[in-house]
Parts: sequence; C-alpha cells; structure tokens
Amino acid sequence: MAGVLVFGDTVGGTLAPASLEMAAAGAALAQALNEPLVGALIGDGLDAAAAEFAGGFATLHLLEGKELRPYTARSAIAAARAAIDACKPSVVLFPHTLETREWVPRLAAMLDTGLVMDCTGLNAEGGDLVVSKPVYGGGVMAQYVVRGAPRLVTVRTGVFEARAGAASGAVNKIAVAASAAGRVTLIDEHKAQAAGGVRLKDAKVIVSGGRGLGGPDNWHYIEEAAAAIGGSVGCSRPVADSGWVSSAHQVGLSGTSVKPDLYIAVGISGAVQHLAGISNSSTVVAINLDGDADMFTRANYGVVGDYKDVLPGFVARAKEIRG
Amino acid sequence: MNIIVTVKQVADPNIPPAHIQLDPDGKRIISPFGVPPVMNGYDANALEEAIRLKEAHGGKITVLGLGDDTSRESLKMAVAMGADTAILINDPDLVNGDSATIGRALAAAIKKIGLPDLVLCGRQSSDTDGGQVLHWIAESLDLPTVVPVTKIEAVDGNQLTVHRLIEDGYQRIKVELPALLGVSSEINEARHPSVRGTMAAGRAMISGWKASDIGLAAQTPKVELRELQIQLRTTKAELIEGASGSEQGAKLADKLHEMGLI
Repeated sequence: MAGVLVFGDTVGGTLAPASLEMAAAGAALAQALNEPLVGALIGDGLDAAAAEFAGGFATLHLLEGKELRPYTARSAIAAARAAIDACKPSVVLFPHTLETREWVPRLAAMLDTGLVMDCTGLNAEGGDLVVSKPVYGGGVMAQYVVRGAPRLVTVRTGVFEARAGAASGAVNKIAVAASAAGRVTLIDEHKAQAAGGVRLKDAKVIVSGGRGLGGPDNWHYIEEAAAAIGGSVGCSRPVADSGWVSSAHQVGLSGTSVKPDLYIAVGISGAVQHLAGISNSSTVVAINLDGDADMFTRANYGVVGDYKDVLPGFVARAKEIRG
Repeated sequence: MNIIVTVKQVADPNIPPAHIQLDPDGKRIISPFGVPPVMNGYDANALEEAIRLKEAHGGKITVLGLGDDTSRESLKMAVAMGADTAILINDPDLVNGDSATIGRALAAAIKKIGLPDLVLCGRQSSDTDGGQVLHWIAESLDLPTVVPVTKIEAVDGNQLTVHRLIEDGYQRIKVELPALLGVSSEINEARHPSVRGTMAAGRAMISGWKASDIGLAAQTPKVELRELQIQLRTTKAELIEGASGSEQGAKLADKLHEMGLI
C-alpha cells in the first residue's frame, strides 16, 4: 500500500474545476508521505477530460464504461474499486460532491476502512494522516486521525488552489464492465433550471437571499439583482427548507460550498453553517436590516437597510454601469 | 409497511456561534444553559416521512437512537410525533464511537428488532455533518440505499420510486425493498407533536440496550477525533451609508464597479 490516489470529477464529459484542486491537495500529501501521486477519472469517453487533468500524476487511470454515466452509486463503486486494485494506494482523495457523499461512504464500509468527508485540511504527521473539517455548522474545527487501508478522504471544493499544467506519466485505460442488474435502478434524470446558467460552486458572482426577504413573493428581488450583474442565484438553508426555491440553490455546509469573487448576501443572518459555505469567497457584501446580524462579521462591505429599497437602487446603477 | 427510523440527538444548530463552548478535554461542545439539545433535523424529516407512509399504507414505526441517557428526550419527541416504539442504545463504550462502530451497532440493533421493510435515516447529522453512519448500517445489513432522497414518489409492492437530489435537478430511482433511504430536508416539513402524542410519549417505555444486548464485539476505531477548536471571527464590514436605501444601493454598485467586481 503506497501512493496517493486522486479522483477528479467530470461534468458533461469535461473536467470539473475541482479536479485540479484535488490534484494540488494530493500532490502536497504525496510529497509529505514520500509516496507517488496517481490520478483517476470515472466516466464514459474520458480522453478530453484526461487531457485537462494535468496534475503531475505518475499514472492516470481512466475508468471507462457505458454504465458510468449517468451516475449511479453501484457503478461508481465498481470503477473506484478497479482503480484502487490497480494501484493499491495508502490514501485516496475524492472531491466532495452530491455523488461522492453517496457512494464513498458505502465504499469505505465495503473496504472496512476509515473515511472522513468534506475535509478542508490534510496533513501527514509521520505516517499518520490527520485531516480537519468544520463541524457544528462551521463554528468549530475538528481534527481527525484516519486509519485503514486505504485511508479515504473527501475534500471540500474551493479550498485548495488548483494545480495545473503539471505533465503526467502513463495513461492507463481500464474498461469497467456493466454489472448485473442491482436493486437500485435509475429511471431517468430531470434537470431543473440551472442556477443562473452556471453551477453554483463554479459561479464568479452570486446574489443570495435569506429568510429576511420575508416570503417567496419577494424572491424576484434576488433574481433581478443577480440578472443585473450577471450572477447566479443562491439561498440560505431556511429558504430552501421552506421551499421558496429549489435546494439546488442552497449555499452552505449542507448545500453547496462556493468561492465566488463576489458574494452578496441579502437578508441572511449568517448562521455558522452558511458562513462556512462561503468562507472562500473573495469579497462578501451583507445587506440586512439588522446591523447586528452575524453576516456582517464575515462581510467586507455592509449595507444596513431595507433590501426593498437598497436592491432596486443597486440594480438601476448596475444597469447604467454595465450599459 | 414496517419502518425503522434512526434518530440522533444533537446540539441545537441555532446556537449563535459566539456561544459555543468546549468541554475541558476539547472533544465535545457544551450547549449554552437554556438551549437543550434537539432531534437532528434530517432525522425529524425521516420520521415525518415514516409517519406519512404509515398513514397511507399501515404498519409500525420503531425509532432507534444511540446516545447517552439525555437522548431519551428526542426519542420521546419521536413517539409524540407518531412513532410506535422507541429503543435507545446507551452503552458508554459506543456513544463516542466512530461512524463504523455506531453504524454497526445500529445495524445489530435492527437485526435484533427484526429487519423492517424500510430503514429511514437523515442524510447526515447537523453536529458533525459526517454523513456516514447510514452507509455502515446499510452495508452491515446488505441493504440497497439511495441518498439524498427528496421525495418518495410511489410505493408499488416491494418497490419504491424515489427522487434523488443531483446538482442540477433530480434522478428518479427505483429501489427494491427492504432498503435504506437517506432523507434530505426537501422531502417534507416535520410535524409538531399533538397533545395526544405528547401524552403517549409521557407513558412510553424506552428500552436501553448495551453492546452485549445486541451481540456487538469491541472494534478498533478507524477514525479518531483528536481535538475540536473554536473558530473565531473578527472581521468588520465597511458600511455603505446613504440618505436612502436606494442611494446606499447605488453607492454599493459604484463601489463594486470601482473594484472591478461588476
């Protein structure tokens, strides 16, 4: 058992930006452990994504099969097991996504090994793997020692700086055969309207609304502000829980962790679990009637005022500026 | 349909960040005085879904918890909402176990109760957001799983059609029973207990099981908590002032434009 195996992620056949963040996290760990860095991708037709996944891998394993897209947990596990069998790593890193958080824990149970999910820090201490992750809604950081063979970690996206342009060694294609029908069968997929056309976690500008909006009838204020500056629409957990908007828009620990250049939070009190999900945003703006809202502790700029007055003024000027 | 729902008691997730404190060994948080722990929110959604299934199809609901004796409060709440029976695994050796230990203990308890048609769990708990215990239960009992489930669309004999949340929509999935589902908050809004339910909860006997009752051998932890650290936040925002909200909004747009952000 030696080596750090890093799984990338693909969306519609192209490499997800988080993949190169995983490569960076893996490279640092591989160096600290003095073990080789190995990459892997799971999908159907991976040549284009593989060319993008230049993470400086000793070997890049491509797990390919018709059954691997659209995603099902069973086939993802079969593919990952093939990669692990091929390189016998001591540590395996996965981007933390709605998919990996379903299938990686089952994989851990199958392999009877240790896993910590949604980590924001990875350290080698001697041979020990010590990981950290925010808990209690992000108000507290926990450190765990992970044991087992291999040790599994899902890594929060938007935390590590992407590693790009490091040439890889050999590419090894592994065909993953279709498995016998299981007890879970995918019928079909229904795509909701994308959040502002971009996946929330890759969005550069996000306008997000919270319970302070008062009700779903006021949601158009958020959509209009996002549209005026070409941003995506986000929301806090209470808004998603109340069904005002689809939870695909939910920003925070239990929703999507984001890292935009600009995050505008409107009527969001700033519960720790929300603040944790935006911790990698460059510039944060809080708009809230309550000047004592926790959101202002994270914000770079604050507007204490009624969003029903502030946002129309903001939208009008933004439209002038942007022509 | 016989259903087992797993219920975890957690620190109230609405504790303001500044009020979180750690116990002296730095491994647990202490809830501020007057803020009692609560049933994990996703578990409440799982229980609500179980009650709706029982209302539509009949059957029996058993809630199963693992924690210290204070966790009886959440199990009583579950009975008050509509669960028929509650069982607590309150073995001190298990309470601080890792996900594998806790998942296997819950699986052993489920075997002792008798495998139901459906095991419903919250997708994760709001304290550590670990999201693993349900999968260790499922692997231990060889159950198919779907996580995170946002809707149970149809019950058809020994098959369920469910919706699974994906980044940009949902998957429709058929799953054979017996199965385990990890429920997400979109699925429903959990009910408040009725007066009749609260009275029933007052009379409810909650069994307490130890590792020996469920035939569980000691296990070496695969994940070990080393320490917790409080995260401090001190940044202060630069406030945008103005004669009116509308003016503040315009000034904000100007500021962000100056910075090249819009």
